[in-house]
Amino acid sequence: MGKELLDKEGGARHFLLGNEAIVRGALEAGVDMVTCYPGTPSSEVPDTFFRLSPQGPYRFEYSVNEKVALEVGAGASLAGARTFVTMKHVGVNVAADPLLTLAYVGSPGGFVLLSADDPGSHSSQNEQDNRWYARLAGLPCIEPGTAQECKDFTRAAMELSLTFGQPVLLRTTTRVNHVRGPVTFAALPEKTPPAPFVKNPFRYVPLPASARAMRLALLDKLDALSAAADISPLNVVSGQGTIGFVASGICRAYLHDALFETGLAGTVKVLDLGFSHPLPKNLIADFAEGLDALVVLEEVDPIVEEEIRALFQRRGISTAVVGKGEILPRFGEYSPEIVEGAVRAACGLPAREKTLYAVPADLPRRPPNMCAGCPHRASYHAVRQVFGDEPVYSSDIGCYTLGIQPPLSCADFLFCMGSSVSAGSGFAAVSGRPVVAFIGDSTFFHSGITGLINAVAGGHELLLVILDNRTTGMTGHQPHPGVDHTIFGEFSSKVDLAGLVAACGVTPVRVNPFNHKATVAALTDLKEQSGVRVLIAEAPCPIHARKVKIARKTPPAQVAGDPAKCLACRDALACPAFTMVEGVFTINAESCSGCMYCVQLSPEIKARKKDG
Amino acid sequence: MQRHRIFLTGVGGQGTLTSTRLLALAAMDAGLDVVSGEIHGMAQRGGVVESTVLLGGFTSPKISPGEADILLGFEPLEALRALPMLMQGGFAAVSTDPIPPLSSALEREPYPPLETLCAPIREWAGKAVFIPCHALGVAAGNPQSANTVLLGAACAAGAFPFDMAAMEAAITKHLPPKIVDVNLAALRLGADALCG
Ligand code: SF4
Ligand code: SF4
Repeated sequence: MGKELLDKEGGARHFLLGNEAIVRGALEAGVDMVTCYPGTPSSEVPDTFFRLSPQGPYRFEYSVNEKVALEVGAGASLAGARTFVTMKHVGVNVAADPLLTLAYVGSPGGFVLLSADDPGSHSSQNEQDNRWYARLAGLPCIEPGTAQECKDFTRAAMELSLTFGQPVLLRTTTRVNHVRGPVTFAALPEKTPPAPFVKNPFRYVPLPASARAMRLALLDKLDALSAAADISPLNVVSGQGTIGFVASGICRAYLHDALFETGLAGTVKVLDLGFSHPLPKNLIADFAEGLDALVVLEEVDPIVEEEIRALFQRRGISTAVVGKGEILPRFGEYSPEIVEGAVRAACGLPAREKTLYAVPADLPRRPPNMCAGCPHRASYHAVRQVFGDEPVYSSDIGCYTLGIQPPLSCADFLFCMGSSVSAGSGFAAVSGRPVVAFIGDSTFFHSGITGLINAVAGGHELLLVILDNRTTGMTGHQPHPGVDHTIFGEFSSKVDLAGLVAACGVTPVRVNPFNHKATVAALTDLKEQSGVRVLIAEAPCPIHARKVKIARKTPPAQVAGDPAKCLACRDALACPAFTMVEGVFTINAESCSGCMYCVQLSPEIKARKKDG
Repeated sequence: MQRHRIFLTGVGGQGTLTSTRLLALAAMDAGLDVVSGEIHGMAQRGGVVESTVLLGGFTSPKISPGEADILLGFEPLEALRALPMLMQGGFAAVSTDPIPPLSSALEREPYPPLETLCAPIREWAGKAVFIPCHALGVAAGNPQSANTVLLGAACAAGAFPFDMAAMEAAITKHLPPKIVDVNLAALRLGADALCG
């Protein structure tokens, strides 16, 4: 979806990705300032803002990490800007420090934090439920469930923030971020100049004395917000009967389809919970009247469920609460099937029988893999050649985590963004084993640099390989402080990675990983040394290079000699352009990116001559 | 309105999501209620890419096992892997052009013979069509239009609640101008492949 998102008029209907609808919602809310750190499933939100930024009526930045994004946003909101900050669920952990004080200080200009959660861990290291953060930090929580709601609720979240002068959590999940559906636009507002900041340190500086007062004020605001949730148009009651369902997020979609499938629509009561924290206590107590049982549908943790149990206990409501302990799982995503099962169980219908085709167990698997011509594969291959299985490989978050796959097998443990350096230091200190840590350039800027400073100052033993592909690969090739090019051309204010490493106290060795001999020589040298060592393996990601139009046209590789002699190279490098055609090794010219790494490993492989 | 659940599967980099979007837009322009779902991220690095299009008034973008009426397999191994999503007696359109996963290229996990992949699909589906999409895409002018060949075949087989004209209109309206003709040709070749 392109420039239509910036259309001033309302009324048009477009088929949008949930994340694009969120962008339109923020625009309809008059957003002034957008900060983020990219991460699936949130990435299309900032990427769309970035693409539209030359024309868009807002200021945008990819911040260096989530903490910084939140702090820049917090400051902007104090200065009166309508501020929207986006990140994936685990990113909120990085931003948790400022977040937990943000609600004390407040955000007079308006502040919405998008947390894109990932139940089922489709592209994340965990499936944490960030609705806890709403409770922990004292934020209202808004949860859309359809593409249209992604737009409408984003706008409602900003309006709520402006009304209360408080930050609001907009919580989505992968299915919602990546739903596509028709969205009807409203008009964009005329921009109003931001309200000027009036100095009042005891309101905005949480010293112990003022923090105590701020905490009390926050509790009052949460009571007022609970009353607002009671009457919010985002919370909708429908149907009649003695069985009730309270559902939030994508579970609402599953519930509505399940009620259609079972023919029960209208014969049970439904509370669509779009404004889920603070709990609309009076609304739910009224909803429970006349109900024998109330089923709570929410993914991951039983948060609303337990709050409703506590509410019922406090108010002496005897309606049975049914949720995760009873008929619903505590992990992973729900599905139409799981929810239909819960509906049937609650309403006394028999479970539905289905016959499913059973897939043969021995189908070849197709795990994700680094692309053909990925510079990380070359780096890993060289490291394996020099170090073999002896060291422990401390990995980090990016495309290069896929180096876990054999034959590269270059990932032995991982915690989070930036952990390769620090966790690697700790492991080496105790085990005495050599540790090679891998981190990407974007992840290094994000939070690897603190680990490096710590490693130097603490006298640790570690070889850190910075896999510098000149972009943020995994999340869709976003710029970071060290990039040379963005989709808008050359990037003029870049921060020098090698200089930064040198300033930390280690003179980095720099190689082009596609130069096999030089990389192996550098690694062999570094292996002999002790202390903290840094190798920067620098070559642009070919996909990024194509996007920013700096890719050089290179001919693909081909088997020029005996294919049988290429098998050692095939098995050690495992480039996805390698293939076997009727038992004979060949290189798929359509997939090969022409990186010429394999050519240096096997004399049987040569660059394809240009025709003519 | 009749409801349809369409499950699409392919390999990262094949353009599965572009085809999904095209199909959904064709339905929307034909006046149908549409919701569609996809998962981005890691899988796009050469892994399996699955998506959905649900027509006729669904709210949920997710399809549970055994509930798809239509399975579109842009790669035969992935079509078989996704067969549990298809209800028995449903419709399947499958490309017969294997994209062997790396494990097969390394001879660690052999890629099954094509017939081993297609036979269970033929048996489970009420109707199944198998199309040499890559060759027809090349014939249309660009192998990247192979997915459109499959859409053409499925549409001509009457799988969707809209006709070829609606598909053609969607291609013309929603694809970048320079690939419209190739995709129209690919759509046609897919439709013709059914009769041949
Ligand atoms: S996107 Fe770039 S960095 Fe990521 S695996 Fe592919 S080539 Fe490597
Ligand atoms: S040149 Fe060799 S290693 Fe590089 S992409 Fe082509 S086949 Fe793979």
